[in-house]
Amino acid sequence: MKRPTSLLRVRPVWNTAAALLILAVLLFPVYWMLNAALQPESSIAATEWFPVSPSLKNFDTAISTQGGSLLTSFVVALGAVVVCLALAAPAAYGLAQFGLRGGQGIVFATLITQMVPGIVIANALYSAYAQLDLVNSYLGLILADASLGLPFAVVLLRAFMVSIPSEVVEAAMVDGANRFTAFVRIVLPMSRNAMITAGLFTFLFAWSDFMFALTLNTTDDVKPITLGIYQFVGAHVSDWGAVMATAVLSAVPAAILLVVAQKYIAAGITGGSVK
Amino acid sequence: MTTITSPAPASGAAEAKSAAGRAPLRRGLLRWLFVAPALAYMALFFGYPLVRNIVMSFQHYTPKTYFTGEAPFNGLDNWRAVFADELFTDALWHTALFTAGSLLGQFTIGLALAVFFSRRFRLSGFVRAVLLLPWLVPMVVSAVVWRRILDQDHGMLNTALHAAGLAPQDGVPWLSSPGVALLSAVLVNIWIGIPFNMVILYGGLQEIPRDLYEAASLDGSGPWRTFRSITLPMLRPVITVVLVLGFMSTVKILDLILALTSGGPADSTQTLGTVTYQLSFLQLDFGQGAVVGNVLILISAVFAVLYLRANRADFGKGK
Amino acid sequence: MPFLAGRIRTRRGRVPALAVTLACALVAPGLSGCAAQPDPGTVTVLNSATDTAEHTANQRFFDRCGKPLGLKVEQISVPADQIASKALRMASSDSLTDILELDGSELPQFAQTEGLRPLDEVGVDTSGLSASAKSLGAYDGTQYGIARSVNSLALIYNTELLKDAGIAVPTTWKELRAAAKKLTAGDTYGMAFSASPNADGVYQFLPFFWSAGGDETKIDNGKGEAALQLWKDLVADGSASRSVVNWNQQDVNDQFVAGRAAMMINGPWQVPVLSAQKKVDWAVASIPVPEAGKPAVPPIGGTVMAVPKNDEDPAREKNAGKVLNCLNSEKNQLQWGASVNNVPTRTTAAQAYAKQNPKLAAFAELVTTARSRTAKVGTGWPVVGDALAGAFQSVLTGRTSPEQALHRAQQQASAGK
Repeated sequence: MKRPTSLLRVRPVWNTAAALLILAVLLFPVYWMLNAALQPESSIAATEWFPVSPSLKNFDTAISTQGGSLLTSFVVALGAVVVCLALAAPAAYGLAQFGLRGGQGIVFATLITQMVPGIVIANALYSAYAQLDLVNSYLGLILADASLGLPFAVVLLRAFMVSIPSEVVEAAMVDGANRFTAFVRIVLPMSRNAMITAGLFTFLFAWSDFMFALTLNTTDDVKPITLGIYQFVGAHVSDWGAVMATAVLSAVPAAILLVVAQKYIAAGITGGSVK
Repeated sequence: MTTITSPAPASGAAEAKSAAGRAPLRRGLLRWLFVAPALAYMALFFGYPLVRNIVMSFQHYTPKTYFTGEAPFNGLDNWRAVFADELFTDALWHTALFTAGSLLGQFTIGLALAVFFSRRFRLSGFVRAVLLLPWLVPMVVSAVVWRRILDQDHGMLNTALHAAGLAPQDGVPWLSSPGVALLSAVLVNIWIGIPFNMVILYGGLQEIPRDLYEAASLDGSGPWRTFRSITLPMLRPVITVVLVLGFMSTVKILDLILALTSGGPADSTQTLGTVTYQLSFLQLDFGQGAVVGNVLILISAVFAVLYLRANRADFGKGK
Repeated sequence: MPFLAGRIRTRRGRVPALAVTLACALVAPGLSGCAAQPDPGTVTVLNSATDTAEHTANQRFFDRCGKPLGLKVEQISVPADQIASKALRMASSDSLTDILELDGSELPQFAQTEGLRPLDEVGVDTSGLSASAKSLGAYDGTQYGIARSVNSLALIYNTELLKDAGIAVPTTWKELRAAAKKLTAGDTYGMAFSASPNADGVYQFLPFFWSAGGDETKIDNGKGEAALQLWKDLVADGSASRSVVNWNQQDVNDQFVAGRAAMMINGPWQVPVLSAQKKVDWAVASIPVPEAGKPAVPPIGGTVMAVPKNDEDPAREKNAGKVLNCLNSEKNQLQWGASVNNVPTRTTAAQAYAKQNPKLAAFAELVTTARSRTAKVGTGWPVVGDALAGAFQSVLTGRTSPEQALHRAQQQASAGK
C-alpha cells in the first residue's frame, strides 16, 4: 500500500535525519533559552553558545518560587479545556449537521469573535466579575480562558464533524437512542482526533494566557506561571537567567502532555477512523 | 463530503426532517439546545465587549470616564482623527504585508511538515510533538531570545550567516533597519505559527480515506499528481479553517511586535494592533483606540464572509 | 452613554449593591474576600514591584509604617506598563486601592480625572521636598503624588578602558564624540544609549534635547536639532551600534556589563547589577553638555504615590495619608533610597544620601536640577514623548534630517492635542 504522501521514496533513516534537522532549526530559540538558563553568571548579551560550565542555580530559584504557579496554570488550563469542549462540541455538531436556520450567521459571528481584542474582553469582564465576585477565583479565570479557545474549537470541530455521515447517527436513533445519547455515544468518539486537537490548542491558549490572568486577579491567590515569571522581571532590572529557567520549567509539563496527546492522534490514524 | 454541511435550510436538514417526521417543533428545540450554551457563552464573553467597543468608538472616552462614568458621544470625531493620521495608513499597509507574509510562510512550511511527518519513520511522532514547544514559551521570553538571535552585531543568525559567507560585512540589520524589521517580524511570526498549521493540517491529512490513494496508485498517478488531485482537494475544508483562523490571529498581532521592536525602527513595524495599543494604553484615548479595533473587526468580517462563500461553493458540489 | 452609566457609575448610585452582597453571600465563602467590603484594618497599594526583591523591600517599609498605626499594608503588584490600565479598570468598578503608585509621567492623566485626592487634604506633608521632586507629583499647581525617591540619568563609564586609552571623562559633546570614537575597538563600542521607540528611548533623549535648549512645547524651536545630530554622529562614526534603535535601557546595561560599550547613559537603578558583576569596573559622571560651562538638564524620573478619592470611606484616605507620611520621613526615605539606589526627595535626606554613597553622589547632585517631563505639557506628555521618539528614530535610521524630524514631531504633538 502506498502511503498518502510519499512524494519521494526515501529511506526511513534519512527521514529521521531530516526530521531531526528540522527540529534543530525550529527549536534553536528553545535551545538558546535552556542554554541561557544554565549560565547564571554571564550577562544575557554575552551568553556563550554552549553551557561549558553549566549551573543549576537559576533552576533552583525557579523551582523554589514557581511550583505553585505551575500547578495553578495546569488547573486553569485543564479547566478551560473542559469548559471549552463541553460548549464547543455540541455546538459544532449542531452547526455541522442540523442545518439550523441562521446557522451560517452563527458561524460568521463565531469567526468575528476571534477579532474582538482580548483587552476589550478583559476590560468588560472585569467590571462584571467584580460584581459577581469572580475576581481572584479559579472559576473566573477558567471561564475567561475558555473563551480563548472556543471560537477556534467550534470552527475546527465543525469542519471535522461535517464529514460524519448523518446515516450513522440516524441508524443509532432508529435503535432507540435519542439525539443527545447518539451524539455522546457515536459522534464524540468518531471526532476524537478533532476533539483532542481542539483541546490541545485550548490548553496551549490558556497556558500562555497573560492578559486574563493579569486583568482578573488582584491578589496572588490565582497566579499562573505567565504572571509568576514577572517575579524576575522588574520595571528596570530583570533576572533573565531565572526568567529563562522558569520558561523552560513551564514548558516541561505541557510538553509531556503534548507528547501524550500526540500518541492519541497517532492511534486514531491506525485505528482507521471515520470512514 | 459536504452535503450535510450546509447550515442552509435546503440540504441536509430538510432530508433529516422528512425522515424523522414527528414532533418537528420539539425536535427543532432539541437541536437548538446543542448550540444554545455556546451561544449564550459567546454573547456574554464576546458579544457584550464587542458592542461596548463599537459604542466606545463614538465616545469621548478618557481616563476620567473610568472614574465618573461620563463618556459623551462625539459623533465621528474619533474616526476622523484616526483616519487623518498618516501612521494609521502606514500601519494598515504593514498589517497587510505582515499578515500575507506570515500566512504564506506558516501555511507552506506547516503543510510541507504535515506531509513530511505523515511518513512512517522512527521518532516521527516524537519530533512532531516536540515541534510544538515554541508555543509553550511565553511571548516575553521568546521575544527576548529572538532579539538576541537577530542582533546585528552579535546575533546568532548573523554569526551563522557570516560563517557560511552569506552575510555582508556588518551583518544584516534584522531589527535595526526600517527596511528589514518588518520582514524579521514576519520571520519570527512564521516560526510561532508553524506548529499550529502543522498540527491541524496533519490532522486533516489523516482523515483522508486511504483507499483514494490506493485507487490513484492503481491508476498510475505520480506522487505530485496524487497530491494535487487528491490530497489538496480533500484537505480543502481544513485548509480554509487553518487559513481563516491564522488570518484572524495574525491580523491583530500585538504582543510579538511590542516585545520585538515596539513598532520601530521609525514606525516600520507599526501595525493596527500596536496602534490600538498606543492610542488606548499609552495615550489613554480609548475612543480612538476603539476605532482601530473596530477597523480590525471590519476587516475580519470581510474575510469571514469569504470563508463562508468558499464553504458554500463546497456545499454545491456534493459528496 | 446610558449604556455605560449602568456599568460604570457605581461610585455614587450603587444600584447593584444588593446584587453584589447577594453574590458575595452565595458565591464567596473561601474563594476570596469580597471587593465590596474591604477590611478596615488594611491599606492596599497598587504598584509595579513584581520583582521579588523589590516587593519584599517595599513590604518591609510598609510593615514598618503600618504596624505602629495598627494597619496591615497589602501590595498588588503588576508589570509597570500595566499599572495605568489596571488602575482605571479598578476605578471603574470602585475597587481602586488606597494608595496608587504610578510612574511620574502618568500622574497628570490620573490627576486630571479628579479621582485623586490632593495630598494636603489627607495630611501628607510635602514641604521638605526638593523642587524637582515636587514637580514630579504635581498637576496644575496641586500636589497629588509624592515620590519617596527619584532617579535621573548619568554617564556611566568603564574606568579601565578609559584609563588604558588615556582618555579623561568627557564633559562636552565634542569630547564625548572624540572619546567614543577612540574607545571603539574590536567588539567594544565607545558609547551605548537607548533610542528605543518607547519611554526608555525618550527618557534618554531628553538630557541631550534639553541641554541643547530643546523645548517640548515648541519642539521645532531650532535648538533640539543639535541633540539629534549628536546621536546621529555617534552612530555614523561607528562609535555606537546601529542597534541602539532597538535597545531599551536594560539592553544598554547588558552591553556595558558584557564589555561591549566603554560608556553608557543609564540610571542608578542599574547599580545592583553593576555591583554584582566583577568583569567591569565602573564609575558615574554627569552627562556631557553641548558646551563647557553650560548646565546639564537631565530628566527626573521615578514613581509617585497618590491617594485615590474614596467618598464612601474617608477613613481609608486618612490611613493612606498617614502611611505616606511615615514612608517619607527623612529616615525612611534615606533607607529606602539606599535600598533601591535612588535619591531621596527630601533635600536633607538627599544630602545625607550623597555623603553615604559617594559613588552615586553624581546622581544626588543631578536630581536637584533635573526637570520633570510633565511639568510643561502635563497630560500631553504621552503624545509629545511619542513625537520625540518618532524624531530620533527616523533620524537614526537615516529617513529624515534632524530639522525635518523635529518639524514633523511638532506637527504630531499639535495634532494630538
